[in-house]
Amino acid sequence: MSQHGETADISVVVNGEAWTHTVEVRRTLADVLRDDLRLTGTHLGCEQGVCGACTVELDGAAVRSCLMLAVQADGAAITTIEGLTNVDGSLSTLQAGFRDAHGFQCAFCAPGFLITAKLLLDENPAPSREEIREAISGNLCRCTGYESIIASIEQVVRSASQADTTEVNS
Amino acid sequence: MRASVAGRFVGSSVTRVEDQRLLTGKGSFIADMTLPGMLHAAFLRSPMPHARINSIDVSAARRLPGVYTVVTGEEMKARTNPLLNFAMFDGLYIPHYWALATDRVRMVGDPVALVLATSRHVAEDALELIEVDYEPLEAVATIEQALEPSRTTVWDKAGSNVLLDTSQQYGDVEGAFAAADRVITRTFTSHRHSNQPMETRGCVAEFEQTTGEVTFHSATQNTHGLKWYLGMTTKRQTVPQSAAWLLKHRDRLQRFVAGARAFMSENKESLGETDNSGMKYLVKKDPTILRHMARSFVGLVAKDRTRLPEVKARDIGGAFGCKGVFSREEVAVCAMALEFGQSIKWIEDRNEHLLVGGQARDEQMKISAAVNDDGEVLAFRVHLTLAEGAYPAAPIAAPIFAVIMKVMMPGTYRLRAFEFNTRIVATNKGPYVAYRGPWAVETWVRERMLDVIARELGMTPAEIRLRNMVTMDELPRKMVTGPTLDVRMSARTTLERAIEIADLDRFRAEQEAARAEGRHLGIGIATYHEAAPGPPDFADNVMAGGFISAEPARTVLEPDGSVSVYIQQMPHGQSHETTFGQVAADELGVSPEQVHVKFGDTSVTPFGIAGTGGSRAGAMTGGAVTFSSRELRSHILDRAADLLEASVEDLEITDGAIHVAGVPSIAVTFADVATAVARDGGPGGGKLETKHDYDGGEGGWAMATHVCWVEVDLETGFVKIPRYVVVEDCGELINPAIVEGQVRGGVAQGVGAVLYERAAYDDDANFQAGTFMDYLIPTSMEIPEIEIHHVETPSEIAANYRGVGEGGMIGSPPAITNAIEDALAHLGVTITEQHLPPSRILELAGVIPAV
Repeated sequence: MSQHGETADISVVVNGEAWTHTVEVRRTLADVLRDDLRLTGTHLGCEQGVCGACTVELDGAAVRSCLMLAVQADGAAITTIEGLTNVDGSLSTLQAGFRDAHGFQCAFCAPGFLITAKLLLDENPAPSREEIREAISGNLCRCTGYESIIASIEQVVRSASQADTTEVNS
Repeated sequence: MRASVAGRFVGSSVTRVEDQRLLTGKGSFIADMTLPGMLHAAFLRSPMPHARINSIDVSAARRLPGVYTVVTGEEMKARTNPLLNFAMFDGLYIPHYWALATDRVRMVGDPVALVLATSRHVAEDALELIEVDYEPLEAVATIEQALEPSRTTVWDKAGSNVLLDTSQQYGDVEGAFAAADRVITRTFTSHRHSNQPMETRGCVAEFEQTTGEVTFHSATQNTHGLKWYLGMTTKRQTVPQSAAWLLKHRDRLQRFVAGARAFMSENKESLGETDNSGMKYLVKKDPTILRHMARSFVGLVAKDRTRLPEVKARDIGGAFGCKGVFSREEVAVCAMALEFGQSIKWIEDRNEHLLVGGQARDEQMKISAAVNDDGEVLAFRVHLTLAEGAYPAAPIAAPIFAVIMKVMMPGTYRLRAFEFNTRIVATNKGPYVAYRGPWAVETWVRERMLDVIARELGMTPAEIRLRNMVTMDELPRKMVTGPTLDVRMSARTTLERAIEIADLDRFRAEQEAARAEGRHLGIGIATYHEAAPGPPDFADNVMAGGFISAEPARTVLEPDGSVSVYIQQMPHGQSHETTFGQVAADELGVSPEQVHVKFGDTSVTPFGIAGTGGSRAGAMTGGAVTFSSRELRSHILDRAADLLEASVEDLEITDGAIHVAGVPSIAVTFADVATAVARDGGPGGGKLETKHDYDGGEGGWAMATHVCWVEVDLETGFVKIPRYVVVEDCGELINPAIVEGQVRGGVAQGVGAVLYERAAYDDDANFQAGTFMDYLIPTSMEIPEIEIHHVETPSEIAANYRGVGEGGMIGSPPAITNAIEDALAHLGVTITEQHLPPSRILELAGVIPAV
């Protein structure tokens, strides 16, 4: 990537891996994740903070990576969709819930919904349908009408509680 | 019904194979692609709706460090052929235009110059350094303005802003109107709105240094079509140049002549019906078109097939029709990659996509209904005016949708006569593209009008529909416009089921009670049928001939025993990898994991000119996959019989193992067969491979009835949808979860269209909805839960699958608007427009004054 204009060094931890990187100060966090770190699972749908496809987890909060400059993320720990997958490459409980309930169609919006769902469930492991509906209302999906996305999060909740039960029993 | 196999996967909601990559961030969307040294493109776009370009100065932009070059319209024109349109009708003026505007801009967002730079950031910096001297012209913003005889023309050679004005009658229209007890007339307006997939458009032209050719990666719905279109538009050469090439390469000329002869004889029937009056009309209006067509087509013929840009597409983030367009940006990027010998990437931003990425449904319909007092609807007389915007989308523009509107408008009602008048007008607005059921305005207006008729006659919406809709025992029967309603036409069944489910009597009591409390409840019903892909005589009635009426599938046994299924369909959310994997797996007796559906690469997929669209995949590709897989199975069994020294009739396939029935221990695998075939060689060159082109057989309709419940809040103007029911029949369900996802997604877009979304322009054609803060896509808070009931009309037909992608959006606008009128009718409200945001609801109800 060619560099034009002022640059700065940033250090971030992305999906558990530490990076130190020289970035053009005008570039967004999404630009740097996608172009420099080649983590292209984070998508840009509107580049103005409305659609939520670019949502990443930054120090435990959901952040629109299209609205944040990369330099603002200096020192932060970031999780992207790539960081949700199990180490062995298999789908995590969260991802598997979306597969099992046919959550997406084109799935361009998936990175944002998955991160949003993760943060919802981190905070509230057993949300009601209405709580789910509200939690995902900042993310746009054009294919599904949202019902399958809500059902997917409910599926994740069910799978997680079954796993917990299994753990307790074993 | 599948006769030959047990059907273990078709009919079940197996999870999607697409999800392993899409849920882990490993999808491969066009914006994810990067090539060493590639240039980034950005287009300078007109801020004016209509203006003359007096001059353009790109010198400062060219000097900016990091800028490779800046290309102007005149420079583009010298290197490319214009974008031509293929659907011609007598009396239709079709303008041609180049990838960049040359002397005039005709819409806000018109591309004026192309910057190529080392990054998108630098390219956008350079846009700001380009100076364009525009001389504003009067703009055409509305249908009313377009019809003013003295208005400035968008296309001067058309002579006016009316590009087509035509009329057709079926049956004795005058007689029906004379015989009717009364004639009811209304004018309905549908607003411009837009597909807006979450992924914008984009492409990467990959220049191959070794060959000097381009591999063109694009988020396109139609890979083969785009390949040929790019072949026509780029590497422009004169007719004498092409002719000289052809003479030098006589084999190419001979091949072309032989191909043309074969094509003519294969399509004798449909070609015979094709009249060239449309072409003649166009040439009369603009003789230069002949030169451009000759350059484009002769140039294409002269080009070596292997030197046409191969088109590749991977994951696509939705489209709903807008990525079936061959775009000016794609032509520009491909042409300049060839010109400069550079790889170039262009990714549209959301503002561009809202401006010029495709808009639709800018229509007005005046409808008169001849009805008898007992509720019988005798005839419709319809006047459609469709505002196409400035540039007709290539290769198929709005006029063809107007033809489908005409053919479908009678629905499944017993009309005696029908008249349809079409006017296509040009305006200074963005391109009108296909949007999920591009003809859907006919259903909206018809179903709205039936409610109007019912109200006038003192009938209920259910009664007027039951009174006029064809019953199952009247089938088969022809629509007044021609196509056959075959014996699987179950629109009435869906209506009857929906009425039962809705429990209308109870609702009326609730509505009454609610009104006493000052709450406004309403219910709306709408029934439609859609060509998915339609019976054989549907295509004949839409356009003469069935050139694009087959879908191919190639099925290959791979050396490792897996099976590859190659299709020309270009999925972009429809889950074709999963569903066609299910179909093939059932035919072959293997698990879907053993099947790999391959798409999106013109160098390996079978040729097809239609891409994904028109609800063709279910019936046509579903059938092609069925039959090519069935044939492959039979070849595999033949070879296995040799290996097992058994008779073919005694063999069975269980979970991918081929064995003698009842003796699972004596078995060979698909991999064993592949190895044996490779070893023996033979006619297939050591490979087992089948190909089948399927024309859809009996084809058929998909149909549904939608019922929408609303509660309208006259404090805020908000419309709540407490319940929504769809009763649908798309034949046999391949994957119910995927079918239901398609239905829900379509309904959601209808909710957006009616209550939120509008591609708004002011009266001077300045665009007003350039961000997602202005163009409102509904969120999870706005979309109701949608209850789906399936009707599956039994049939012995092979591959009884029908398309289901478009219908959700065809049925929902009438169901919702009918419900809103039902809620507010007691206040004297009539709904004749489709866009009903809160402010408009309050105006209509008289709560606030109308602007």
